[in-house]
Amino acid sequence: MNLAFRLRQALLIARLEVRRAFFSKRGFWVYGLALFPMLIFLGHGLEVKWKREAWSKSAASRAQLDTIAEGQTLDEIERRLGRPIRRHHWEDGEREHDSWLYSDGTRQVRLRFTNRVLTGIQSRQIANFDEDRTVLATVFQYFYLRLAIFFGCLGIFMNLFRGEMLDKTLHYWLLAPARRETVMIGKYLAGVAASMVIFGLGTAACFFAVMWYQNPVEVDAYWGGAGPAHLFWYIAAAALACIGYGSVFLAAGLLVRNPIIPAVVLLLWESINGFLPAMLQRLSVLHYVQSLCPVPAVPIDDDIPAVAKLLLAPAESASASFALAGVAGVTLLVLYAAARAIRRTEIDYGTE
Amino acid sequence: MMRDPEVVFDGVSKFYGEVLGVNRVSLNVPPGITALVGPNGSGKTTLMNLMAGLIFPERGTVSVRGISPRDPEKLMRVLGYATQYDAAPRGVTGFDFVLTGLLLYGHTRAEAERLAWRAIERVNLREAAGRKVAAYSKGMRQRIRLAQAMAHDPEVVVLDEPLNGLDPLVRAETISLFREWAAEERHVILSSHVLQEVDVISDQVILISNGMIVAEGEIRNVRSEISEHPSQFLVRCRDASRVAAMLFGEPHVTEVRLQDDGAGLLVSTRSRDEFAQALGRIAVQSHEIEGVIPADENVDSLYGYLIGSGGRS
Repeated sequence: MNLAFRLRQALLIARLEVRRAFFSKRGFWVYGLALFPMLIFLGHGLEVKWKREAWSKSAASRAQLDTIAEGQTLDEIERRLGRPIRRHHWEDGEREHDSWLYSDGTRQVRLRFTNRVLTGIQSRQIANFDEDRTVLATVFQYFYLRLAIFFGCLGIFMNLFRGEMLDKTLHYWLLAPARRETVMIGKYLAGVAASMVIFGLGTAACFFAVMWYQNPVEVDAYWGGAGPAHLFWYIAAAALACIGYGSVFLAAGLLVRNPIIPAVVLLLWESINGFLPAMLQRLSVLHYVQSLCPVPAVPIDDDIPAVAKLLLAPAESASASFALAGVAGVTLLVLYAAARAIRRTEIDYGTE
Repeated sequence: MMRDPEVVFDGVSKFYGEVLGVNRVSLNVPPGITALVGPNGSGKTTLMNLMAGLIFPERGTVSVRGISPRDPEKLMRVLGYATQYDAAPRGVTGFDFVLTGLLLYGHTRAEAERLAWRAIERVNLREAAGRKVAAYSKGMRQRIRLAQAMAHDPEVVVLDEPLNGLDPLVRAETISLFREWAAEERHVILSSHVLQEVDVISDQVILISNGMIVAEGEIRNVRSEISEHPSQFLVRCRDASRVAAMLFGEPHVTEVRLQDDGAGLLVSTRSRDEFAQALGRIAVQSHEIEGVIPADENVDSLYGYLIGSGGRS
């Protein structure tokens, strides 16, 4: 039995297990996590499309909107721009307030009146590509990497061994004519394949969900420039997170019975990573994968609670090559611990 | 190098936390059919799991034909284990279940398919092989587990309650298969709670209770070592009441019971040799003895003597 034979065994095990990793009844919620941000962006896109469609019928021209200035009266503006898309009136003691919404098809302009005189103009794009890309980067770093992939990997990789113990089927693999490490690697590869496909596609779906409602000219320019590289690095970061977190939860599935405990400990460790000494920061998956994200997230505001700030603080970023090597190092270290654990694993369904 | 042909337990103890699995078990199991007999929770499955490397001993060592159960890569080439649990991954067919295991041995697909069909045919499941294991009846699942355990032609077959749920025809065929293997100097180590069945198929028996080996060896030898219980013989003769009276005068005879048909006696004796001599004397006196058969050289009796009927499962 040489290395090539063991590798063939591991790939065979992976091929057999990948179906279970994709379609485990216990893991269907993982798809929800993977697709949730895409659904949010799709919803936002639908809203943008609807606004463009609905508001285009009563749109004012850009030139007309540009002539509006503070101090003009409500009647004067209505004469010039016509009826607003939406209007809202309320009174505050002796003062009357009005809020009117106009659009030129690309911008939404909100006019604020006090006692029927224009006192404020708030203008923003119906869809702002730059802003939406930053939102995508923020959602990806703070939600997708830290929570969706984290808990998704917990669902997929903990299930590889603990799930089989609960189903009383693990002995099938431990009775295979293969080293236990080979079985473990086969199962890990199955988990990695499943999680990379689920979260890689989820990432790509988010990316395209942000694109589809944007101005085509801006989208074409993006694809001609940084777009492909951004997509690649988002998917690479998601894939590396699957590799790193996968190894951790695979090991956790072999070492502990309750998945909540390692999940909480690891989540805290990853969250406070930015505050750890540089040496300890390197023992983190997030530290490396966040460094690969191509677009910076929205900086954390000063006014958010201290605890939230602590949990969201990003670690010092690493170079791409260092990040790749770092994830590989952390993964190998954890897989080594998992290999030691599986050699001691015993079948004891009675206590499950 | 020649491998040790036996399955050896050397001072093996296994605990599940504070619960005893087996304690200081030392056994040398030779090839042939060996039955593990004992009440529920006595340690039968623990012994089987130790052999297969599904659990490891706290103390002592286990060796299966010279191979450590800690080396599954080598062990599983010589050992097949049909556990009491279903092991088929969800959604697989019976054929794929057997085939998958064979592919892990490194067989080509064609060879693996040939071996899978051979094993499936041996357990009479050819027609159902394409159906999903999840849709199988209890008996069919038992058979597919058997097929999977023996498909790679192992030297040692370990079977946890292998005859459960089998219909009489398949049961007879399976027992015949076990005998074929035993004749080929393979180990067939099985557990069963159907003592009459164990009696019929086993060459050796291992009686286990509370994690301790109570007795082991050929059933006859085990019986002869139990001195505190008189041996029982069924004597068939024409003049049963006269023979009974004569036997009752023998000091080694502790009990004589007339059979209902009046043509037989159940005799309990403390000395098998003296009983044989007494029967000889009776026969010489023109009392026709048609036959003498041991009445308690079976697992059922051994179980009762050594473990007690209360523990029977």
